Amino acid sequence: MTVVQAGAGRRRARHGHLLPWMLVAPLVLFIALLSLYPTAATTVESFFRVSPLDPPTRFNGLANYRALFANSAVTTSWVNTVVYAAVGVVASTILGIAGAVALKRRFRFRGIILALVILPWALPAVDEAVIWNWMYDPNYGVVNSVLHSLHLIGGYHVYLGLDRWLTVVLIEVVQVWQMTPLSFLIILAALQSISPDLYEAAQVDGASAWRMFRRVTLPLIRPAIAVAAVQSLVLSFNVFDQVYVLNGKAPLGSSLMLQTYLTTFQNLDFGGGYALSLLVTLATVLLSAGVIVLIYRKPVAT
Amino acid sequence: MTVSVTRQHSPAAPGARPRPALRRLRPAGRRSIRLLGRTLSVLVILLWSLFPLYWALNTSLTTLSGAESRPAHLVPAPFSIASYQQLLGVTGSQSGFASQFGRSLLNAVIESGGAMVLTIVIAVLGAYAFARMEFLFKRTIFVSVLATLLLPAYATLLPLYRIMSSLHLVNTYLAVILVYTSGFLPLATWLLFNYFSSVPKSLEEAAFVDGASWLRTLVSIVIPVALPGIAAAAIITFLLGWAQFLFPLVLTSDLSSQPVTVVVAALNGQRIVPFTLLMACGVLTAAVPGIVAIVLNRFIISGVTSGAVK
Repeated sequence: MTVVQAGAGRRRARHGHLLPWMLVAPLVLFIALLSLYPTAATTVESFFRVSPLDPPTRFNGLANYRALFANSAVTTSWVNTVVYAAVGVVASTILGIAGAVALKRRFRFRGIILALVILPWALPAVDEAVIWNWMYDPNYGVVNSVLHSLHLIGGYHVYLGLDRWLTVVLIEVVQVWQMTPLSFLIILAALQSISPDLYEAAQVDGASAWRMFRRVTLPLIRPAIAVAAVQSLVLSFNVFDQVYVLNGKAPLGSSLMLQTYLTTFQNLDFGGGYALSLLVTLATVLLSAGVIVLIYRKPVAT
Repeated sequence: MTVSVTRQHSPAAPGARPRPALRRLRPAGRRSIRLLGRTLSVLVILLWSLFPLYWALNTSLTTLSGAESRPAHLVPAPFSIASYQQLLGVTGSQSGFASQFGRSLLNAVIESGGAMVLTIVIAVLGAYAFARMEFLFKRTIFVSVLATLLLPAYATLLPLYRIMSSLHLVNTYLAVILVYTSGFLPLATWLLFNYFSSVPKSLEEAAFVDGASWLRTLVSIVIPVALPGIAAAAIITFLLGWAQFLFPLVLTSDLSSQPVTVVVAALNGQRIVPFTLLMACGVLTAAVPGIVAIVLNRFIISGVTSGAVK
């Protein structure tokens, strides 16, 4: 009798012990095998010579990294990616704040407008890049047509692929168009959680609208701005789809992600691809940490 | 509902000093200026957000000569649905093209739908355990799973390709679905963990006292209560899957598994497909996530903001 009871009790205890493990097991398996293991493989193999067409794989020391620093196409894509990321973070954060301030108050049709405003975020970047490619078209594009009708340009122009910085900025405009709704939503949620009492108090003190924004709104939405900025930073530092469609494989406007893709799958230099991937991963993580620290630590401007 | 309302109803409140330029205007005048300003800013925001999409629709609904007019026609003139007829295979002239496009749409539905189902099932189980149970290394596992959110695609792309290639899974739905799922799980788990944590425990405890098993409690009590959160996670996962490009570009090489994004990019790259047809492809590809985003936007907004702000 006692033996049976003890057995049942132990069984229940063991079941209770195993259950959480059974529930998280599929999740842990996926993350371990398809996320953590590949990351480790990238790290290790970046020190190896890996070329599917020319085996065997062997230890290579820092040769992959030295080759990357000697490759001018890689250097170009580093500089381009820094510009992509800088334009992307600054533009999408400022536009996100402006949009959130404009749509903060409730009014008629606000729900429908919010639903429409998030559309660019919800659609595939490739699709959007194909659409913008047609808008930038040198012969029949609407950008040319509108600028010409407004007498801002004398004739139709080629926008992409001639001037490096114009190409980079115009491609990043397409990505900013897609990323801004996310920044907007994050900042809007923070804005709406600010208590109206704070504004009433500031108003009683005779504060102007701009002063209220600087002294009341901005400090309170700073964490949300940090989150939005990090999201934009990671997305724009990883820009690929828009560059693939609008720049093609030319080095002119190439980004690091595109360069990694070309190194690996066009030049079949897997070792070089691994090394570049690892460097960019480290840069992304460091930059994200940097933005968070900068925005959280910066004292409130007066 | 905030300050603006009280100010509008009591314009003479002490301290609410009008600016010099507006001093001579009566309160009604100031109000209409503010209304004008707000209307203008809303119009600018809508123009910025929607113009490119309108432009794709505009081009897709005209003929090639209509699309190539200078200056550009702001409405489809002449109006024509020939591009859509070609794409949907109604007219025979480009039927090969139509079947390619249709197949790639089907592939995208299977891949993003499959990844959505797999992700949600796995994330619901995991998030429930993280939110409700205590076990060894819980914190370590939870943090490790969430930390992979920070890993950019660079970190895993090449090894994932080599893994799938060594398993002979390149060009299969399975490879694409597995890779998507591994990428979407951290975010879905985080969203669902937040949602489960916000649901009171009392209902479940009552069910346990009544002797219900954990599975029964999960299926008949927790999931129905958490349905809005699960819907948000599912919709966001589906949209992410539908938008994927780099991973399927690497993992698929023919129409047996290429999703529509890869096919549209390839058509664009050929430089011979007319823009009217290309824009019709763009509109049809965008229609699926576009309709989802508009109809279910409440779930998306709550999901996106809860995931980001907490």
